[in-house]
Amino acid sequence: MAQAVEASALRKQYITTRGVFRRERVERDALRSIDLSIEPGELFGLLGPNGAGKTTMVKIFTTLLLPTSGSARILGLDVVSNPWAVRRRIGFVFGGERGLYWRLSGLDNLRYFADLYQIPPDVSRKRIAQLIERLGLTGRERDRVELYSRGMKQRLHLARGLLNDPEVLFLDEPTIGLDPVGARELRQIVRELSDGGKTIFLTTHYMFEADAICDRIAVIKKGSIVAQGTPSSIKRTVENQGVVEFEVVGMPEAAAAELRRLPGVTSVSIAEHELAQVVTVHCARPAEVMTQLGLVLDGVKPQKISSREPTLEDAYVQLIGDSAQ
Amino acid sequence: MKGYARAAISAFRVSMRLRVVSTWAYLNWLVFPLIFTALGLFVLGRPGASGSHLVYGILGGGLIGYWGIAYLDGGNGIQDERWNGTLEHVFAVPTPLWVILFGKICGSLLFGILAFVPTVLFAYLGFHASLPAVDPLRFVISLGVLTFTFMTIALTLTPLFALWRWAFSFLNGFELGVYILCGFMFPVAVLAPWAQGVGDLLAPTWATRALYASTVSGGAPDIELWWLAAVGLSLLYLVGAYFMYRMVGDRARVSGELALA
Repeated sequence: MAQAVEASALRKQYITTRGVFRRERVERDALRSIDLSIEPGELFGLLGPNGAGKTTMVKIFTTLLLPTSGSARILGLDVVSNPWAVRRRIGFVFGGERGLYWRLSGLDNLRYFADLYQIPPDVSRKRIAQLIERLGLTGRERDRVELYSRGMKQRLHLARGLLNDPEVLFLDEPTIGLDPVGARELRQIVRELSDGGKTIFLTTHYMFEADAICDRIAVIKKGSIVAQGTPSSIKRTVENQGVVEFEVVGMPEAAAAELRRLPGVTSVSIAEHELAQVVTVHCARPAEVMTQLGLVLDGVKPQKISSREPTLEDAYVQLIGDSAQ
Repeated sequence: MKGYARAAISAFRVSMRLRVVSTWAYLNWLVFPLIFTALGLFVLGRPGASGSHLVYGILGGGLIGYWGIAYLDGGNGIQDERWNGTLEHVFAVPTPLWVILFGKICGSLLFGILAFVPTVLFAYLGFHASLPAVDPLRFVISLGVLTFTFMTIALTLTPLFALWRWAFSFLNGFELGVYILCGFMFPVAVLAPWAQGVGDLLAPTWATRALYASTVSGGAPDIELWWLAAVGLSLLYLVGAYFMYRMVGDRARVSGELALA
């Protein structure tokens, strides 16, 4: 049986020009030799910082971009040589508010795309009605999209992506910008779709989202996959480590450097939180680090010191490096 | 084929619905044609001007409106789709882009042809100008041929807007050039020979000549040849369109220009 999604040595390079006369050629590798295989029915998550290549990968799989080299297959069909057959069997949803005709009603948006997907009218009528009900748009389907809330627009996006009853659904940061309740509802729907047998390829920034719903995840950094496996196996990459967190007001740069030099410390990240800084230290021996904090911080008093087990986010930060905040 | 027809009809319907709620569409449809009609009639309706030239004033504004909507609205529509983020969605459906654009362009043609109504009325009510001797059959055929030429040019050039973000400003010049080279507002005989040569390569030149000839007494003995020339050139454009769509389909997937960023 063919894999739902497959990539082999997949590479994408963008070539642009710059300068007044556009003579300077600029090459940028968006994807570097990606190998990936997703089983039918799997809910697969792709994690990575902005610009890592997540959207480029989704666009290649959805036939919107051609790879520079390597191959990409959906349900055994090559996305380069057989895009029309691929398009019939996939759906995709991009995050954000764009991608809909705001001056048309939600219902008109769905009808239009149903016709572009060449779905017979008797089938599309029933399916649209079902999707409107399932995605909680009942009663608002005849309103113009410009009057919808962000959450409703995202649910309409999802309804559009499901119009052709796709076997593989690509979701590119579908919960971005949604309020917690809307995001949770959408995750619930995605999980239900997966339980219903659809293969789902989800890109996200949110670790807890991937941890909560994905069967398997991959972490992408600068166009290369740096880790792949189940959420628990990814977490195991930091299994022998712990995390120390504390708050300080006015963290000296020298102290941060000193912390990084302590034995067993693998990374130190500092995030601003109101007037204070929250310092997260990934290390092999948390107790040792905690005892040395007073010395290292040299007069600056740490507050809310705690030690905890590493999460998927910690594993992600470790894989991506200190630059990811 | 049924699926394609349904997709094209749906694209037509959506383009019409989006157009009627757009105030910009009325600029091309009503305001600009009326300005051109007023200017044309002011110049061509002066004492001593040839009576047969008056038809350029009566129909010229409508022609400009028709052409502007048929040609430029297609590009505008693509640009709008890019801004709305819908261009990628439209591109990634199992219906070829030309089918969708064909539906949209048909919408533009229907909306555009209506530009003749206010301009001809304005000429009659505002300037007491009317067409001297219309041959209804030849007029209708000429208008049909003209519509076909507009459709083929729009169908051929519109995908370029999808491929290149900068195409819109560049191809704007083509819109204005056609006004002059195809003789929308005055006979092409007044142009320099090289410009007439370029105009002869444009199918609307022949269709426009036939349209004007069908409104004056005596008409033209070789009007059928003009129709043939317009249709023949348009068919050549369609051959070009075939390669254009293949090129756009491949190139857009290489450059990623369908998205805004």
